[in-house]
Amino acid sequence: MAKNDLITRNLMLDSLKQYAKNRISHEFLRQQDAKNEIPLDILKEMYDHDILGVHLLLIPEEYGGLSGQTTEIYRVCEQLARIDLGIATGVFATFLGSDPLNVGGTAEQKAKWFKKIAQENKLVAYGATEADAGSDLVSLRTRADRVEKDGKIVGYKITGSKMWISNGGVADIYTVLALAPGGPSWFIVEKGTPGFTQDAHEDKHGIRLSNTAGLAFDEVYVPAENLIGLEEGKGLLQAQAVFGYTRLMVAAFGLGGGEEAVETALKYAQQRIQAGGPLSEKQGFMLKLITPHYTRLEAARAYIDWTAKQLEVNNHGLATEGAIAKLYATESGNKAAEDAIQAMGGFGYTKEFAVEKIKRDVKITCIYEGTSEVLEMTIFRGRWQEHLKSRGQYYIKQAEELDAIHLQHPDVGADSAALGMRALAHILEDCRVQKLTRHQYITFMLGDLICEAEVAAVFAKQCAAGIVTEGSRLDLNSLKMMSRVTARLSAFKIATEGMRLILGVGGVAAAELLQAVNLTAINEKMAGLIEDQDGVSAKLREIFKA
Amino acid sequence: MNIIVCIKQVPDSAQVKIDPQTGSLIRAGVPSILNPHDHFALEKALAIKARTGAKVTVLSMGPDQAIAVLRLALALGADEGVLLSDPTFAGADTWATAYTLAHAVKKIATYDLILCGQMAIDGDTAQTGPEMAYHLNIPQITFCESVDSDGQQVIVKKLIEGGHQIMEADLPVLITMTMPIDYAPKYPSFLAAHQAQEKPISIWKAGDLEADSHKLGLEGSPTRVSRIFPPAGRAKGEMITGTAEEMAAKFVEILKKESFIK
Repeated sequence: MAKNDLITRNLMLDSLKQYAKNRISHEFLRQQDAKNEIPLDILKEMYDHDILGVHLLLIPEEYGGLSGQTTEIYRVCEQLARIDLGIATGVFATFLGSDPLNVGGTAEQKAKWFKKIAQENKLVAYGATEADAGSDLVSLRTRADRVEKDGKIVGYKITGSKMWISNGGVADIYTVLALAPGGPSWFIVEKGTPGFTQDAHEDKHGIRLSNTAGLAFDEVYVPAENLIGLEEGKGLLQAQAVFGYTRLMVAAFGLGGGEEAVETALKYAQQRIQAGGPLSEKQGFMLKLITPHYTRLEAARAYIDWTAKQLEVNNHGLATEGAIAKLYATESGNKAAEDAIQAMGGFGYTKEFAVEKIKRDVKITCIYEGTSEVLEMTIFRGRWQEHLKSRGQYYIKQAEELDAIHLQHPDVGADSAALGMRALAHILEDCRVQKLTRHQYITFMLGDLICEAEVAAVFAKQCAAGIVTEGSRLDLNSLKMMSRVTARLSAFKIATEGMRLILGVGGVAAAELLQAVNLTAINEKMAGLIEDQDGVSAKLREIFKA
Repeated sequence: MNIIVCIKQVPDSAQVKIDPQTGSLIRAGVPSILNPHDHFALEKALAIKARTGAKVTVLSMGPDQAIAVLRLALALGADEGVLLSDPTFAGADTWATAYTLAHAVKKIATYDLILCGQMAIDGDTAQTGPEMAYHLNIPQITFCESVDSDGQQVIVKKLIEGGHQIMEADLPVLITMTMPIDYAPKYPSFLAAHQAQEKPISIWKAGDLEADSHKLGLEGSPTRVSRIFPPAGRAKGEMITGTAEEMAAKFVEILKKESFIK
């Protein structure tokens, strides 16, 4: 059967929206949040084939699923996040928990377990994290000892513990990473297996509608056929193979949470009359608290969508792009939610309005599936190699490409994006020559600057190609305004932050560096920034009426 | 039994605002939906299908994007879709629209029951259904809240002032459906949305219909809109309080002051 086309994706998203509208009120979310309780009946309905059947997207068609493409899965993640990030996390845990099977499972294993997940609407949990093994899975302690019979491996006994497992207390099927004699390996463990217990549910800051619990394994016996891929030692590769993909999904969470918060605040501001007019008509309010956030979220959407389309071609990989998408979208979403509270003042600070909960919820997106700091490191490492391999030309080449785009499309900010790329190339080269990457802090910050540069570049390129990002409510002209804003601010950040890092260590003349990163040219491109931002504000007011 | 349901893609009027200066609709960023009355009519047709095995064809006129509502209808259980999409159809008022739809129905040829929503929420005219019945020269029953059929006859519950009428009619007949106030439309599951991709949708141009081209689109539309404007808001009323005598006295005072009485 054909892949889902755009109309089908939109039908699915509409169904999800309508379901939420009918079944999940803010009052309900507020109660569950206060009770710190996962709404299992809602999750079951979302999995019900006749109602929604969301989880079928992650299951290959041959096993009764819908073989969802990356684009529809990220868009569903975004929509789920707009509904509630706790519920989104519960659904996502099933996506994530099924991934080792998807990547490494044998045909028989996929047939057995996917059919079970598809037809019996099973909740799945992904058991990787341990007390000493979070982002650093190499420090894994949970063991899987072979059980042999007549010289043949018939099973494994798993011993150890896991922590912070989403769906940990409520899942039916667990994929568990454990250290087998041949190395880290994924195992499937079913709820109720003797020796397998779940801890109490955590009392968390946010996403309180998702169940998070530790897992304990005391010589839990699983048959050898539950070793994913029937081969020991493939676990870390299987985990890493999908990072690009899974991080893109969390990026969509940041996007969804952030935009829900900004839109709520903006709709409120349209009717909040202060000093003779609605808040939304006031430039200071919009340019501080609303417009920059929505702009960053649209840039994030363009980047996420671009990465998703790449992943559909490449299938796996794109770890750096996944990290960039997640870092940019989740940090932007988190800050957007923070300022949504500010925008709504006292109302925003009460639980009666949604933004207070969104702010608590969205913070997790900067933590799980790789903290922002781990992502900065990942991005830095990935692109540092490119910088070295290309002898400093990696970003120069991209700058040239952007300059060429600017000649054809002078209205997308490609000129500023190019200046940012050139400044970045220079900063990376300076760091290399002076061996500044011995400072871990600098490597983190470079990861952040790389992220800024690449998102701005992709946004400008997408606009130049005339692409209105799927799911965006804006038109191409508004996206171009946003792209110009994004490119200008990102170039400025790269140049000024880069200088601060290099000058902070010392040994370089400030005046020379200033010239090398071409801050003057970057600043000269600022003309028109406020006009563009005002233009974006006007468009947002038009779309998000009270 | 063959049922045709006429459906229309409309802007979600709950999200449409009117520009007070120009009187025109602000369409930016407003999502399109299946007209709720049509959605209701479709659900009723699908209920008859579930009982009798009838074939349900959905028919719409609109730009190519209107395929989205046909796909929604197919995902909900309709069997096939027809979209009338041609620049010649553009600018049609209800008369020309009804004429065009009626010719599409004639081309479909086999039908027993035609269901339409009472009206589209963007125009609120409630004319297209009845005008279609005229063009097809078949009987019609309007404003029905329920409809059932055994394949020979229909029985409907028609909304009238202060109550309902139960009516029976022979086939073929055209019924316009009125959704109840608390109507919550059904939406398809992900699987149904996916499977709808495989169901057939035909796209017919003006040349595919045996229609007089002068009676299509703007040219075939006798309606002239002179002005569109939002109704002026009503001034806030004044509440009179006190005992019955006091209130009556105050009221008389106001009527005198405003020169309604002397």
